[in-house]
Amino acid sequence: MFYISISILAGISIVLTRIINANLAKTIGIFQGTFFNYVIGLFFSLIFLAFSKESLSISNSTLQSVPLWAYFGGLVGVFVIVLSSYITPKMSSLYLTLLIFMGQLFVGIIIDYLTLNHLSLGKVIGGFLVLIGLTYNLVLDQKQEVLYSTEI
Amino acid sequence: MNNLISAFIGALIAIMIMFNGTLSNIFGNYTSSIIIHIVGLFSIVLVLLISKSKIKIHRKIPLYWYSAGAIGVFTVLFNNLSFPILGVSLTLALGLLGQSLASILIDHFGLLGMQVIKFEKKKCIGLLFIALGILMMTIF
Repeated sequence: MFYISISILAGISIVLTRIINANLAKTIGIFQGTFFNYVIGLFFSLIFLAFSKESLSISNSTLQSVPLWAYFGGLVGVFVIVLSSYITPKMSSLYLTLLIFMGQLFVGIIIDYLTLNHLSLGKVIGGFLVLIGLTYNLVLDQKQEVLYSTEI
Repeated sequence: MNNLISAFIGALIAIMIMFNGTLSNIFGNYTSSIIIHIVGLFSIVLVLLISKSKIKIHRKIPLYWYSAGAIGVFTVLFNNLSFPILGVSLTLALGLLGQSLASILIDHFGLLGMQVIKFEKKKCIGLLFIALGILMMTIF
């Protein structure tokens, strides 16, 4: 039960991060907001490392085993935060969550297929079910918008 | 267009997870988190310099608006705690459940300065499909 709650909390924290970041970005600018995000994040990562049992030992051999592209995750993360801060105030939070999930899922399936040569049928079918449900709700919204605009 | 950008963010996250996962396999979770933040910080400073943006300290905005970076580190911690016990798929599915519930509440009540978007009962059919799909992905 503890771990189930922790996982759900992890999900809640993702939404909170997105909205708080967007609020900050609206006031001080998207790039500036992203900057503070990384400054604070780095500070807390250092604190977490200090309290964890992990040792900060980076030897030459481990450095050589890391492919160069693996270091670009931080750069991709900057794009993610900049785009999220831009889009969050413009959309329903639920749709944003689900659409991000769709993009993540299908690219994840492609990455798995390319790197592990494995195609998970359950994930593909499940993904399409999510897509159907999402499209259904999006169409409902659009109909409503048409209704509103004809009333006015 | 907004929908497309949203799905694109998801695609970027998938790529980011692959990159960051490779790093944390080698360096460990917390050391890699530091590397990721240093690379990110370096990138955004470069963007700020190129776009000639200025950073001002605003005194009037609430302090918790700066907390997003800290919450992000907690997200990583929570995930690290449950991955070994619950497995990857269940952790992700529960995380998505948490995201969806939080989003529905935030939309409906317009929390944290967001627009109010009331929840409608007829959308339950769509949500049912979504829940089914997530269940399917978790089981198989």
